[in-house]
Amino acid sequence: MDETNAPKKGGGIQKITGRLFGSVPLLGYLLAFLACVLWELLAGEPLSRMLGLPQVPMFFGILTIFKVLAALVDYLLKDAPFNGAVLVQIPSALIYFMVIYFAPLVVVARLTVKPANLMARYLQRFPLAVSALFQLGLMYAIFHFWVEVSDYRLITLKLTLIAVLFTLSLNIINGYMGEFSCSHPGFMAIGAYMSSLFSIGLFFDNRILGEAVFHISMAYFTFPLALIFGGLTASAAALIVAIPSFKTRGDYLAIISLAFLFIVKSFLENMQSLGGSRGITGQPNWAALPVIFITVVIGVWFINNFVTSTIGKALNAVRDDEAAAEAMTVNTRKTKMVAFLFGAFWAGVAGGLLAHVMRFINPAMFGIQKLAEVLAMVYFGGLNSVYGSIVGAVSISLLGEALRPLEIFKWIVIPLLLILVMIYRPTGLIAFKEFNIRQIFGPKEVE
Amino acid sequence: MVGAYIGLGVALGLLALFGAGASAFLPGWVILVLTILISMFLTAFVGIIVERVGYRPLRDAPRASAAITGLMIGIILETANVLFLGGQRLKFPQLIKSVTYNIGGVFVTNKKIMIVLVSLALMLALHQFVTRTKWGMAMRAMAFDYVVVPLMGVPMNTIAAMTFAIGSALAAAAGILFGLAYPVLDPYMGVSFGWKAFVAAILGGRGSIMGACIAGFMLGFIEIMTVPAIQIVNRLFQLNIGSNLRDLIAYSIVLLILIFRPHGLFGQAYSAKLRL
Amino acid sequence: MPLLEVVDMSHYFGGLRAVSNYNLNLDPGQITGLIGPNGAGKTTIFNLITGIHQPTKGIVRFDGRDIVGKKPNQIASLGIARTFQEMRLWRHMTVLDHIKMARYSNFSYGLWGAFLDSPRRNREEAQATELAMAYLTMFGVAQFADQLVVNLPYGAQRRVEMARAMVIEPKVLLLDEPTVGMTPDEMMAMIEVVRQAHQRFNLAIFLIEHRLRVVSELCQKVQALVFGEILVEGTPEEVQNNPQVIEAYIGEQEVEF
Repeated sequence: MDETNAPKKGGGIQKITGRLFGSVPLLGYLLAFLACVLWELLAGEPLSRMLGLPQVPMFFGILTIFKVLAALVDYLLKDAPFNGAVLVQIPSALIYFMVIYFAPLVVVARLTVKPANLMARYLQRFPLAVSALFQLGLMYAIFHFWVEVSDYRLITLKLTLIAVLFTLSLNIINGYMGEFSCSHPGFMAIGAYMSSLFSIGLFFDNRILGEAVFHISMAYFTFPLALIFGGLTASAAALIVAIPSFKTRGDYLAIISLAFLFIVKSFLENMQSLGGSRGITGQPNWAALPVIFITVVIGVWFINNFVTSTIGKALNAVRDDEAAAEAMTVNTRKTKMVAFLFGAFWAGVAGGLLAHVMRFINPAMFGIQKLAEVLAMVYFGGLNSVYGSIVGAVSISLLGEALRPLEIFKWIVIPLLLILVMIYRPTGLIAFKEFNIRQIFGPKEVE
Repeated sequence: MVGAYIGLGVALGLLALFGAGASAFLPGWVILVLTILISMFLTAFVGIIVERVGYRPLRDAPRASAAITGLMIGIILETANVLFLGGQRLKFPQLIKSVTYNIGGVFVTNKKIMIVLVSLALMLALHQFVTRTKWGMAMRAMAFDYVVVPLMGVPMNTIAAMTFAIGSALAAAAGILFGLAYPVLDPYMGVSFGWKAFVAAILGGRGSIMGACIAGFMLGFIEIMTVPAIQIVNRLFQLNIGSNLRDLIAYSIVLLILIFRPHGLFGQAYSAKLRL
Repeated sequence: MPLLEVVDMSHYFGGLRAVSNYNLNLDPGQITGLIGPNGAGKTTIFNLITGIHQPTKGIVRFDGRDIVGKKPNQIASLGIARTFQEMRLWRHMTVLDHIKMARYSNFSYGLWGAFLDSPRRNREEAQATELAMAYLTMFGVAQFADQLVVNLPYGAQRRVEMARAMVIEPKVLLLDEPTVGMTPDEMMAMIEVVRQAHQRFNLAIFLIEHRLRVVSELCQKVQALVFGEILVEGTPEEVQNNPQVIEAYIGEQEVEF
């Protein structure tokens, strides 16, 4: 009677890695990574020169390898000139990766298991916020030092963080609520434009938007307001999709959301007062890495709090059986409304961040291409899961950047990868897994 | 897109074989018909391969996963086109001479009449197939409940392949007709068409061929009519609205229709189970 | 005054008459059964009472208040809980979450509490967890609390579904074929569960059943429904032995335990 049909866990390689690294807490990995990053700042340049690499590898060597492969492909297919010497960069890049990242990571992580666990346990005595903030601070330090090597890393990291927030906000509607919403780039567009209007329109003289309304000295601290303004307007627009969702599901709602996307894009293209097809440029450079990091962390925290609460799980109840949910006192209309508006809010915030990072926006950025990208991130990473959205956004972003030298192949590799994931894990890589903050920041006990 | 490009290849091949112009061995319109038929046939094979590789493994998966797979396969096909044929635009050969008729002050070319007639004929044929033949019935049965259907002796894989074959063939025909009307082909020509077709199909109501037909015509009609309509409004009210509001107005109308008829124009009122 | 009162209810689906001139008086603490051949309209009556459909004609009163036109979740919050014949559970949810979900209308921490992990939210969630565990223990499924409900054996799933309905702390419980698919042992266990729940909470229970054994064990009053109309109403013995009822049921008597 006590037996269930739950699948049993296990597997060979899982056992080995489990034994070696199962007891490393997050704190351990953070310390190890910090060590790697500092080590790279010290030894990266001389090492890469020694190995014959043109510059310090941008993404752990992956980009370097692909550049070489791209040159090779060019040579084979298009008879472009090929310098055989660059082939040595492939093993060099691998060596660099091992020396700068992999080895120190493994060594430090293993060595600091005991002290890291002790520290994590010690931190547990304080309210969760203390441990969380400490470890988030460490994470930020890692990012800070990592991007010091180059601006390219900086912008990629910024865009990746924004992608995480955007993907997670879509997961609320597509994963937790189980709809197929195509309107998310539209929400992002509204957020981008509205927050730009806020920051440029109010504080700067702009060719399109007119003269400044307030003085610039008050400007910087109103950036959060600009983001919130963008988010709220996106939420308001989400009503257009939320209200029909009371009566229809599935394909029909997908088309409604798609129509919404086209309407927003067309509207923006035609509003000359918003720059028309050329869009708006000249956003102030307020989207610094700490700002983005904090915003994304807050977003993830809000969203995770929501989906772990019973009110948040009502989204799942409505998805899996709406009639039963209603019979069990769940207000399904309110639930659907909240899902759309909340998801749209964070998409709008992500849009605001994007606008101030790129410092230009135009309607073409928020069309079918953006839709395909964000759908890929959500479904690749995993539905109904904060982990999934983080993994999906980071993977697809980094993969997209790393494959850039191979240009057009990028659009064969990424779709192919996604198809494989869909076939073998139809709901994504890490779906339905609950994100337990206490567990993540706490010590890892050996079982 | 695939159909249009295959059609291009077929047409060029046929032209090379049978000559063109004054010393043609076969008249232009025969080549056109042959092109359409052969391309439909070949594209059907592409469709069958796509079904086998991308959709059959996902038969038990949530429908969203299949949708994503479809989207990705589309991207791969487009990218493959660019890879193998280069990113240039190709010109579709003129297979029939253009003749313009003046019907009561309206100028219509024979090409446009032919496109409309061929489309209607194909849609009618599809409607008959789906409603009157036993394979059509099997297709509709599979849409309702594909678990029980094989127990009734219906070969699911065959029917699924057939569905994709027919769909792809029709898409090929559409591509060739499009190539006739707008003779420049580029790898991404199918994108906006594909999404609009999706909108029209659902707007007409899931499962209704005639609904899709009517919705398709309606969508096209709205898209075209917004331009003169805006001009009239501009003149009447002394406004200066841009005539690029085509998409905006067309999709707003789509949205309104769906708000008031949540199951499409002719759709049956059963809710789609998302099966996550 | 009856707790649940249905007066002259009729319902048409398009041109099809599903229910006709239906009446019900359910007093507090009373157990009434509803029997009838398949397609008679029994589940439809449940759906009409709980607000899934609005009756074309007729009055439904709960605790003296008119509830026609209210949404199902409002009616549930007022105190009418139900189970489903086909057992509608949420595939991706744990057992504990199922029970907590039914407490939805009792949570007062609102959206901001949900977003911000407030102390109030944590307190209310903890209270709900405690209450849910109490009910799970009561129904003998507490050991499955953290399991996905779809991994449980059938009998346990049925109990979870009942616990979920019970945690609303209803005054009226509508059970739609609670013993369908059960073996004779499981059926007797379920009868006991219903009986205990009835005694402990003094519930009014309205029960759809095919198995006349269950009906005669539990019900004080029985209605027989055929083609949407009440054929006969009375004690279980009276209704079971009524010739018209037997005729309507011909062939189905054989399959009783």
